[in-house]
Amino acid sequence: MAITETDHGTDGHDAHGHGPVVAGAENPGGEHETAFRRDQKERLMLWLLIGGDGLFLVLELFTWFYLRALNVNGLWNGAACTKANPCTDGLGNPINAPITKADPKHAIIIAVSTVLAAAFVWLAESAARRDAGKRAVSAMAGIGVLFILLAVGWQIYQFQVIPFTTIDGAYASTYIFFMGSTLAHLILLTFIMLGLWIRASKGRYAGATWYRVRLIRFFAVWIAVSTVILVAVGALFY
Amino acid sequence: MTTAVAPPLLEDTPIGPKAGGFYRHQSVWTGLGFGIFLGFLAWLISHATVQGSNWGTDMVVTCTMVGWVVGFNIGVGTFNAPIRWMLGHDQTHEDELYAAGVGQGSSRYLKFCTDHKVVGTQYLVLVMVLFGVGGTLAMMIRTQLITPHSTFLDPQTYNAIVTIHGMVMIIATIIMVSGPFANFIMPIMIGAKDMAFPRLNAMSFWVVVSAVPCLLATFFLGGVNAGWTTYAPLSVQAPAAMDAFAMTIITFVVSVTIAGVNTIVTVVTMRAKGMTMGRLPIFTWGSVVGGALGLYAMPAFLVVMTMMITDRATGTSFFVPEVGGSQWLYENIFWIMGHPEVYVILIPPVAAVLEIASTFARKPVFGYKVAIAGFVAIASLSIMVWAHHMFTTGWAPNLAAPFMLTTELISIPTGIIFLCTIGTLWKGSIWTRLPMYFVYLFVWNFIIGGVTGIYLSDVPADQFFHGDMFVTAHFHYTLLGGAMIGATAAVCYWFPKVTGRMLNEGIGKVAFWMIAIGIQVTYFGQFWEGFQGMARRVAYYNPHYEAANQMSTAGAYLLMAGWLVFLYMMLSSWRHGKIAPANPWHAKTLEWKVPTPVPLENFLVDPVVTSDPYTYGEGVPDGQEVPATAPAPEPELVPAGSAPGDEHDGGGAS
Repeated sequence: MAITETDHGTDGHDAHGHGPVVAGAENPGGEHETAFRRDQKERLMLWLLIGGDGLFLVLELFTWFYLRALNVNGLWNGAACTKANPCTDGLGNPINAPITKADPKHAIIIAVSTVLAAAFVWLAESAARRDAGKRAVSAMAGIGVLFILLAVGWQIYQFQVIPFTTIDGAYASTYIFFMGSTLAHLILLTFIMLGLWIRASKGRYAGATWYRVRLIRFFAVWIAVSTVILVAVGALFY
Repeated sequence: MTTAVAPPLLEDTPIGPKAGGFYRHQSVWTGLGFGIFLGFLAWLISHATVQGSNWGTDMVVTCTMVGWVVGFNIGVGTFNAPIRWMLGHDQTHEDELYAAGVGQGSSRYLKFCTDHKVVGTQYLVLVMVLFGVGGTLAMMIRTQLITPHSTFLDPQTYNAIVTIHGMVMIIATIIMVSGPFANFIMPIMIGAKDMAFPRLNAMSFWVVVSAVPCLLATFFLGGVNAGWTTYAPLSVQAPAAMDAFAMTIITFVVSVTIAGVNTIVTVVTMRAKGMTMGRLPIFTWGSVVGGALGLYAMPAFLVVMTMMITDRATGTSFFVPEVGGSQWLYENIFWIMGHPEVYVILIPPVAAVLEIASTFARKPVFGYKVAIAGFVAIASLSIMVWAHHMFTTGWAPNLAAPFMLTTELISIPTGIIFLCTIGTLWKGSIWTRLPMYFVYLFVWNFIIGGVTGIYLSDVPADQFFHGDMFVTAHFHYTLLGGAMIGATAAVCYWFPKVTGRMLNEGIGKVAFWMIAIGIQVTYFGQFWEGFQGMARRVAYYNPHYEAANQMSTAGAYLLMAGWLVFLYMMLSSWRHGKIAPANPWHAKTLEWKVPTPVPLENFLVDPVVTSDPYTYGEGVPDGQEVPATAPAPEPELVPAGSAPGDEHDGGGAS
């Protein structure tokens, strides 16, 4: 279903100056621009936010590679020393006791779950686009929610099972920061995907409003890509 | 520019206390209630669960601040729309009208209101409050420094005040133009009825409001004694106040990011028919470039402050060399944000100055396209200069020369914009009203701030000046003398449109001269201190520097007195000033074509733009300025007065 730009009337504007309610449109009584205009605005907003989030990701990676390259006091991936209990040799130099690398299995499960969640959002978009009915859209969205909940749950579980803590040197710190960042993003995506599922089951993505599922798909794919990047860096550059 | 305007209708629409329940009763007061409650709850839970904790344990303070910020925003209504969206309970048309403040009188200024003009006014008041706090702290600093061994403040308190003065002013200056004027004025300038995302707009304001108490709480948590840059390891070792400080920044970054996105999307997608990018008023360009730069500088602030909190609260080792971290990591990420941030502050006021200069010189902006290119060039270069703040740290000496080059390069587009300002005024038939006084002062201060910056970009000179009062004088000339004075010019210029009242220019000129002289005395005093070698951020100093310090302190008192007079002028004019006509400056941009006060949706008939924004002195070709929708007379004035029209293209006396 194509989106076309149409003129909007000047009567019945709401408080934001947009046109009258379009029957069947999402958000009845809210903003009432044409689907084309809203899609244009929201897509641009999303790309800008993804750009900002991308810089956040770049800085996370910068931190990883910078601390890894510096390997200050040999404590990138090893720290028997802590701030509270510094262990040093007789000359006051820290002793480097390597820590165990995080098991990549957990991170891979999280990444795969996130990718599958994004894939089901994509399928939901496809169903909405061809007007396959609210059951089809909500079914795809519901399966996506299951995968994203699995990813969130597993990310929390990984916090319990990693073989180091925050005080075990730069590698441990940065790895746990990656995990925290991933968890925060996954929780945000869960919120949005729950919204997609609930709204889809209420038939809110019928007709011209399919583009809103596409927006969610863009975000879900971005989260999946960034999760895969963090997992890959964490696994490959110990 | 031409527009067709119909009288406002929606303000008169009664909104009944229909469904919505609590939603209809939310305001800043419920925000405070929820914030205090959730903050206390978070404190109780974290205190109970973190072993061996006390009130000042980092994790406890962090959780308390998170509880406050989340609670305040729940209480004020920030999260209503997202939660209702998720649950599929969309806002009704009546809800939208209510959220826009229809029928609520002045109480809408204390609520989560989506009308961009209300948000702009809220920002204006917030900025004034922040400047009041920051200015008071500045006077405490200068009072301490009036004698070499003053006992007015102890060194610890002095350091805390220096830090919070810096951060309050940074926050205030970042939002001082983009908050009030990019919200209130810019959408009207481009012919839009509101910002692209009105709810995000209100969210950006209330989120920053929730950050302010966190910052002020630092005084009660031991104070942050690490300077506004909060370098590691000082900040890692600082009292629990540092956690509140970092939470302030994290919250503020969220607000700036949202605001930046909203500004860009509004300009790109909400322009009126005929408002091509080449016809955008220069202020709009400045707002967009400033917003974009903020959007891509602020993630660095978010990253570095989050790491700072985790270093302190959970024992990670990002910035602590003893456990594998590096303070250079902090400095790099901090300044990747820190230098672009200067231009996030500077570009919107400079653009406002160009706008004002054009109006009062009755000339188009000189080199309009070159000035836009200058803004873009500054924004682009500003992300490649960060390490000039680290010349003396020992980090990557081989990169000193390249960073010196990029820093000096940035003076080229800056100089070009300066020349555009001068060129706009040059041979203009200048109408010297109060906004123009501040434009002249901007020009004077900005050249001093700019030229002294070139010294600091030079590696050998920076070896001498780094960390001394010369640097303090330089950036105050740039940020106060340049950006803040530019913003003051903007306040004087758009005050009639925002408030519907004219400023009392007699009092304003008194304030102007006090401020103008105060700035020169204060900061020439600090240049003098810097040349003598006095270090920044010291509570006590060698008596050798006493004369320069007394000069600076005397200037600071005069400056503060000038701001107080200015504040009095603003408040008294806001209440008792002469009713403003719709277009008191006979300007050409769209915001002056709508009635004052501006109706709820700005334009009830879509405007169609048929000419450039600066057609001063040009004849109007037949048929060019005919609105495509409905012909309309010049806007009627509300509540009194009449638009003088656009025929006044020559100069005039004030």
